[in-house]
Amino acid sequence: MTNKMNRRTFGGLLLGGAAASTLASVGAYAADGSVRLIWWGNPERDKRTNAVVDMFQKATGAEVLPETYAWGDYWQKLATQAAGKNLPDVIQMDYRYIFEWARRGQLAALDEFVGNGIDLSDYDPNQLASGKVDGKLYGISLGANSMSHVYNKTVLDKIGVTLPDQTTWTTDDFVQIGKDLKGKLPEGMYFTENMGQYEPRLQTWMRSKGKDLYTAEGKLAFDEADLAEFFTYWKMVQDEGLSPPADLQAQDSGKMEESMMATGHGLFNFLHSNQLVAMQKLVPDEIDIVMIPNNGPHAGQYLKPSMFFSMAEGSQDKATAAAFINYFVTSNEANNVLLIERGVTGDASVRAEILPKLNKTEQKIINYLNVVSTHVSPLPPPPPQNAGEIDRALRPAWDEVAFGRIGPEEQAKAFYANAKSILERT
Amino acid sequence: MPARQGRLVRFWRRNGAGYMFLLPWLIGFFGLTLGPALASLYLSFTNYDLLRPPQWTGLDNIKYALFNDVKLRHSLSVTFQYVIFGVPMRLAVALGLAMILDRSVRGVGFYRAAFYLPSLLGASVAISVMWRQLFGAEGLINTLLFLATGWQGPSWISHPDYALWTLIALNVWQFGSPMIIFLAGLRQIPEDLYEAASMDGASGWRQFRKITLPLLAPVIFFNLVLQTIEAFKAFTQAYIISGGQGWPADSTLFYSLYLYIEAFANFRMGYASLLAWILLLIIGAFTALAFWTSKYWVYYEDESR
Repeated sequence: MTNKMNRRTFGGLLLGGAAASTLASVGAYAADGSVRLIWWGNPERDKRTNAVVDMFQKATGAEVLPETYAWGDYWQKLATQAAGKNLPDVIQMDYRYIFEWARRGQLAALDEFVGNGIDLSDYDPNQLASGKVDGKLYGISLGANSMSHVYNKTVLDKIGVTLPDQTTWTTDDFVQIGKDLKGKLPEGMYFTENMGQYEPRLQTWMRSKGKDLYTAEGKLAFDEADLAEFFTYWKMVQDEGLSPPADLQAQDSGKMEESMMATGHGLFNFLHSNQLVAMQKLVPDEIDIVMIPNNGPHAGQYLKPSMFFSMAEGSQDKATAAAFINYFVTSNEANNVLLIERGVTGDASVRAEILPKLNKTEQKIINYLNVVSTHVSPLPPPPPQNAGEIDRALRPAWDEVAFGRIGPEEQAKAFYANAKSILERT
Repeated sequence: MPARQGRLVRFWRRNGAGYMFLLPWLIGFFGLTLGPALASLYLSFTNYDLLRPPQWTGLDNIKYALFNDVKLRHSLSVTFQYVIFGVPMRLAVALGLAMILDRSVRGVGFYRAAFYLPSLLGASVAISVMWRQLFGAEGLINTLLFLATGWQGPSWISHPDYALWTLIALNVWQFGSPMIIFLAGLRQIPEDLYEAASMDGASGWRQFRKITLPLLAPVIFFNLVLQTIEAFKAFTQAYIISGGQGWPADSTLFYSLYLYIEAFANFRMGYASLLAWILLLIIGAFTALAFWTSKYWVYYEDESR
């Protein structure tokens, strides 16, 4: 676990006092309180976020105490802090959790700050809407992203293979390409990591068939046979030798640096589009990003808010918290540092400012999202309570299939029943 | 009531200073141990989810634990395997090494320190991370195996058949603290018993069985109880090595890990409190069992039998 408390606070305060009197842009962000900020991330995100925290402190004289954790530890930490009535003022939120946290009274409605501390006049209303719960704004989206496949372009180019049109390719094409590449990949590299373990991959599978994971009422939106098909497909991919053997694949405990792609064992990897930036830092070869192959006639993917900034209901200094969120979301200088590491911002003027400054990798994400945005279906309803538990149950269930302890169909039956009972539990 | 007051004053004069010295501990015990323990007993009967105030749900949690919770049963069996195999192996290694180090060989001090070192590192995150590396597909263990036999081993750490055993191996490797206690125990055994035995022509193995083991029994008993309790509570190693989830395929889902996931990932703090109390009862039962059997195999020198 990483817990980075700011050591530059004192210096920041000193500098802040001096800077506040000289900088012209300060007026809009003036605040002098002290707030805590928490996010999940990766080393690259931490670096950029800490830099923006420093800039905000210098510009305003306010104090921001940052804390960061890996995704896996983050929600547990946050729940503990909530129980201790000690939540940070500004909280990075995920679409999966924002409804639960808002409805359990932990988050502050931001509507009173809109136009009054937080300037959203240039912000895309569609992206903004994803942060609304029961008609009130509980989180401001920090960017849009979508699911994706990334692949090692250097290796593929060297072999001389070009991929089919990414908007129409199918899961059968995917397997066929894998089979054609057999024996041509570098030693130890498999065609793809196995994605039978991923809930988002399962979701695109279901949506491609015109279904989904959950209905708006919080019930399962697919049936047992669909799941059996999914498990069978990914077991076939493993048995064909297109994905690594189960024990090698299982070494990936969810950290990007342990992924098959980062360890040189996978040509293809599943990622959210904004994560391309971090993944490219881990892979010496050039990687590229494409849409997920279809297994049905419907669009499996959707544009989703990558993450939000929310405010704790118990915050003692909501004005400063709002000022920080405003600076983070709307200021050019902050976003020149942040760029699109958290996704592509919905603020039009910021986007115009940063787009020309993006490097090649970041440019790929923009191009990718441009393609995706014409081939998406609408944002699914927010997942029900306990959906996180079902997500966590998928990996061990898949592992049992991968290690041959249970057949795909049998496991589909067991997992389906288990998921249903999890949803019924309080 | 002057008589009573007098007694109080006398009590204070005699013991006051002692209790003052104890005060920090007493505050800690009541404030940080007993208080939370009682709170968790109350929470066991609620649906507390960390974010909202708890609501009384009566016996719902207990019913679920007894009749519906498949994962509870599974995690118990994982933990039992860990205890039943891990503890005796750790004690055997600790005792064996203690007997070797009990002899006066040159540099024995250095060896003792060296063997104790792994325990100092304890159940730390760094060690667990190192273990992941050692037992991974391309880890040191497999490299050595390949060099020695030409056989490419699996990823021990992420294979459901072996993952638990790598954790047991980690537990055995940290044998330092029972070893030190065994060493102290061995020093207590009078040398003349061995001299007499060897004059009577008893073999080394016979000496071990007839002198060392019986006289060391109290120490073995002490270590057994302590190590069993520790093994039941094992958490950090499993948390780090299994990706915090008991992976692969729930094969390292220790009871303590399951409890943690229920509390902090699934937001069922009420249910997790019940799980904690169940663990307490299980550890209590095991300890009681050990004490009950001890009268048949533990011999204290000041006892007459």
